Amino acid sequence: MAIVEHLASLLRKPIETSDEAGERSVSTQKTEDESGNTVIVAPPEFRFMYPEFLPDPAPETRNRLREKLERMDMLQRRSVIEIPEFYTGSIMAVTVADANSPNKFARFVGICIQRGGSGLRAWFILRNVVDKQGVEILYEMYCPLIQKIEVLRLERRLDESLLYLRDALPEYSTFPLNMEQERRLNNSVVPINPIKVKLRPRPWLERWERQNLQGVEDLNLPQRFYDKAEKVAKPWEKYDLMLHYRKTIPAEEQEKIFAEVHSQLQQQELKRKLRRRRGFDNEQ
Amino acid sequence: MVSSLAVDITPSSKAFKLFFNHEQIRTMSRVKRRTTHPPYWHVLKNNQRDDEKISSDNLRFVREVIQDKYKNKSPIKGSDLGIEKTEWDPKTKRSGVIARNIGMQHMWEKDGKKIICTVLQVLDNHVIRYVPPEEYANSVIGAKMFKNRKPLGCLVVGAEATNPDRFTRQYCSLFNEVGLLPKKRLARFIVTPNAALPPCTPLTAGHFVIGQAVDVYGKTIDYGFQGVVKRWGFKGGPASHGATKFHRRGGTIGTGRDKARVWPGQKMPGHMGSERRFNRGLKIVRINMKYNIVYVKGTVPGPTNSIVQIFDTILPRRKFTEAPPHPTYFPPEDGTLPQEDIWDSSLHVFGSPSISV
Repeated sequence: MAIVEHLASLLRKPIETSDEAGERSVSTQKTEDESGNTVIVAPPEFRFMYPEFLPDPAPETRNRLREKLERMDMLQRRSVIEIPEFYTGSIMAVTVADANSPNKFARFVGICIQRGGSGLRAWFILRNVVDKQGVEILYEMYCPLIQKIEVLRLERRLDESLLYLRDALPEYSTFPLNMEQERRLNNSVVPINPIKVKLRPRPWLERWERQNLQGVEDLNLPQRFYDKAEKVAKPWEKYDLMLHYRKTIPAEEQEKIFAEVHSQLQQQELKRKLRRRRGFDNEQ
Repeated sequence: MVSSLAVDITPSSKAFKLFFNHEQIRTMSRVKRRTTHPPYWHVLKNNQRDDEKISSDNLRFVREVIQDKYKNKSPIKGSDLGIEKTEWDPKTKRSGVIARNIGMQHMWEKDGKKIICTVLQVLDNHVIRYVPPEEYANSVIGAKMFKNRKPLGCLVVGAEATNPDRFTRQYCSLFNEVGLLPKKRLARFIVTPNAALPPCTPLTAGHFVIGQAVDVYGKTIDYGFQGVVKRWGFKGGPASHGATKFHRRGGTIGTGRDKARVWPGQKMPGHMGSERRFNRGLKIVRINMKYNIVYVKGTVPGPTNSIVQIFDTILPRRKFTEAPPHPTYFPPEDGTLPQEDIWDSSLHVFGSPSISV
């Protein structure tokens, strides 16, 4: 009983992300809507922790019923395997069933350089340098061949996409394949790694000077590159409200979606913690 | 001159295609591919009058009248069927179903292979009327269809019940006999007489069997007026190397000699899409009885949220060998609920453990 109470108190603690540090920190709360009925509201951090639950914003392909059925299937899969919270820049290990491997399982460790997709199509790319060869693997999060997803180091970087690691010095993408899971120092806040990566000399795969990257050291390019970047830039896009509106799901809908999945996700989290705690106690 | 040769190379012969390099199908060039108006025997459907200045009291009264007229009916049980219990035989043609294509979803097979499935929502289908074979053979379409064949019956099915305010009186009168709310969509399904259904019978996702093959009819995505590269897959011209204004054009449209004119059916820019197409032999991999959803392996003509029709397949090697729910599916009499989510045996169910090879 004491264990359950302790775990319940853990869940009541706010799990804010770095972006929301300083803002109001809310946990699961029951608010009242206009008619006075209690309505469960998921914490706002959910849209960063579980971004694949939000559908593709393109209106031509949207259908509420199909999205709801897809979310039910996603929760079913999540009840079997733990898909932890991770961000671009986190170091992860994925174990996949592979017929061609000697053990029939293949484990890969890497840094998450990009994540995307919505619903059951959600994916992420892990990058590592193995035997001086850069290797990137795209994993589909809900593929049933995946046996285990571990987050070895949970952290964020200054950019949402780390594709520039392909043009960076190899030491920035190298991680030991036998890396162990690191303990989180602060359970409530996801740390941001302010590292500035050094790129190799040109030619590069993309024109990094045009992309406003924060996590890259000074590129030291001739001035003509920066002039052309300015010419080609679209500084008015940050004022284009309709563009951003069309690219995102409105906040009211997001709240509805996460309220729907929230209680099930919490239950799954609780069960896993109990199982872990029980396993730990049994060992002792 | 052409027919005097030893090999027959008239445009309709097979040798024509072997002899000449171009493979354009010119015989269908004169057939009209799409219309924007309904057939002449259809009644006017949508309400043409503007919103009159009706007072709120009158509006409330109209709504009450509608509610009284179309009071909810209890679901039809199998025992209430007006016709005798008929036997299924391999030559039976069952009714089809009107559904909406609500999108696509990934699923995985038991060996880990990913498949793309189209999610089809079976709308609130009800049988409106049954036209027996002799009567249907006298109609315009029926006469054409059964010119030298034995005639079959026709089942008119409707879906998507709507407020009668939207439709004209003539259209609403089509549903007076049945006493149902007027349906937005109507479809005809050709059935053998032993698969006839009485009016007001509901058709649901249970009409289909897991693992069966279906044909889906729909209207393809409307691309509008399109150029020759997108419409016919022409290669166009070089993007650079000095090409002057020739990047996505068709090029030559004929020789100067043969016939000395442009042949009918020459591929040119024009309207693309919005055409009737069937995707045949699609396998049903999952049925959700609670939400009336059918998951079909493969793609279906038409964009998301468009209406399609689903029938049992006509492909000879994928037809039924065992009797399906004939003439349609009825919930069990003793009130037991059917299994909510039925999966095909080849599919990996999401709640089951991860696959290990």
